[in-house]
Amino acid sequence: MAQFLEQIINGLVLGGIYALIAVGYTMVYGIIQLINFAHGEIFMFGAYFAFVCVTTFGMSFWVALPVSMGMCALMGMLIDFVAYRPLRNAPRLSALITAIGMSLMLQNLARLIWGARWRKFPAEATPTVLTGNTIPLPGGAQVSFLDVFIILLAVSLMIGLNRLIHLTKIGKAMRACAQNRAAASLMGIDTNRVITVTFAIGSALGAVAGVMVGLREVTEPAMGYYKGVAAFAAAVLGGIGNITGAMLGGVVLGVAEALGAGYISSEYRLAIAYIIMILVIIFRPSGLLGKSTATRA
Amino acid sequence: MLKKLFTPKTIIFLAAVCLFPLVTYGSDRIVDLLYARNLVLPIPSGDYILRVVVQACLYMLLALGLNIVPGFTGLLDLGYVGFYLVGGYTAGLLMARLGWSYWIALPLAAIHGALWGLLRGAPTLRLTGDYFAIVTFGFSELLFRIVKNEEWLIGGPNGFVNDIPPPNLFGYELYAYWQQYYHILILLALTVIVVHRLQNSRVGRAWAAIREDERAAESMGINLREYKSLAFAVSAAIGAVGGAFFAQFQVNISAGAFEFWESIFILCMVVLGGMGTIKGSVVGAGILGILGELLREFGGWRYLIFGLILILLMRFRPAGLLSARARD
Repeated sequence: MAQFLEQIINGLVLGGIYALIAVGYTMVYGIIQLINFAHGEIFMFGAYFAFVCVTTFGMSFWVALPVSMGMCALMGMLIDFVAYRPLRNAPRLSALITAIGMSLMLQNLARLIWGARWRKFPAEATPTVLTGNTIPLPGGAQVSFLDVFIILLAVSLMIGLNRLIHLTKIGKAMRACAQNRAAASLMGIDTNRVITVTFAIGSALGAVAGVMVGLREVTEPAMGYYKGVAAFAAAVLGGIGNITGAMLGGVVLGVAEALGAGYISSEYRLAIAYIIMILVIIFRPSGLLGKSTATRA
Repeated sequence: MLKKLFTPKTIIFLAAVCLFPLVTYGSDRIVDLLYARNLVLPIPSGDYILRVVVQACLYMLLALGLNIVPGFTGLLDLGYVGFYLVGGYTAGLLMARLGWSYWIALPLAAIHGALWGLLRGAPTLRLTGDYFAIVTFGFSELLFRIVKNEEWLIGGPNGFVNDIPPPNLFGYELYAYWQQYYHILILLALTVIVVHRLQNSRVGRAWAAIREDERAAESMGINLREYKSLAFAVSAAIGAVGGAFFAQFQVNISAGAFEFWESIFILCMVVLGGMGTIKGSVVGAGILGILGELLREFGGWRYLIFGLILILLMRFRPAGLLSARARD
């Protein structure tokens, strides 16, 4: 029972992290129909930026987190500007291959800068509030403050994102672009600006997820690939292009993965994500919450 | 046809290809000569040159196989390494565990690969674009996880260590690099002929029609299911042949050789030369296969450069180095 409860909490934390990454994939896909492979790498850089801020510049963790978000937002916008914008009207395959190339390049850039070995967030820089305390649960299970903090942070960011999209002017413009970019442009919406903002928001949320993973697990160049694929699977599960779907998909996938790793085999935790992703694409390409489009290209 | 094939130019080219191992003999003699005079110059040994060339030829074979799906039918395949893996492990299992001859294991690996191609193709027939790409990616990653973890079947992460015997041809064991060179050369030539014949046939035209516009092709009476399945099967079989060759060439085979980035590396070759052309795949694989080997010492820089090549190509020359015609 205690193990089950711990795995569920583990899954929820993982789910919150996946949801934070998955909205980045799904928002970009919703507007420019591009699987931004490099998003996983932005998430990884987010973890490294915070790591560098804390170790090299001696910043407090609470400063490093927003700095890393800002850096990643800039990075996301820069990637879009340099690599994707020139291909806006090119065949979709070209943009997809560019995204893969970008991902390959950034992952190995991180490897060159920081080395292939994983790094642990320095203990003295980690806020003791988060790591020092645990909350006892019924049945002898325990949950750390950090886990609770990650879940709360993810939930509040998701609510914030939801409000942003439904209540603000730029949110309305984003929804319009997602429905029909050409029509939105004709209505006087600056679509390039909307796309830039989308990349910035998605990347900043990815950075938060990166910092959390760096704090809870380790920071390594390959993390963007592993977690990125799983988060992409979450976005597909929820219905790609659908933001609420991405949040739901993240949580479902996180719990499924934690239970699978706990009860089946931890070697196959990524395999669970792949299997779910393949089954969803084959049997319900629109995902849990997406509109029904059988052969969405 | 024959007259066109045997122009002076092609004869010189063919002779150069067939006599290539002599070059390495020469380079060995030069190294010996310099060594005798206490001179050490960075001239690679003959075996090294041949090994790099054999590997580049293997990549040409793989690039030709991969090219069939994204190049001819326009569906992006991100998991080609899965078939390479199937071929490698099939040949490896048959030869190392059951002691079968390579000459039986090779066609069986090809058939096994084709079966997996059909198996993967069946549920993805109605998918296009990104969704197809993602399923192919997930498929090869699943295969990779399985061979990495299942020790009882395929040795887990270590694979077979020095277990695969060299192919035996009329009592001669083929293990020297020059023998491997002719071995891959024959496989490569057969592949080029098969792919060339397919491309210029009814099948190839049907594939091109599917690539340009799937719905229009279907309404012109092209059976999408049949032609797509055929493309998947042929492409997968070629990949599996490459895997079988790789298994006996490396003597040991392990999961590490079949990671996702290997698929991207092969895709990079096809894109570099120009998708949808035979010449493009061969040239792209030749350039990157040799470049990849030369850059091996630089570790991370290697993949960084490949990523950059993909980005720059898509931006400035989306149709590849050789293709004069811009797609779309």
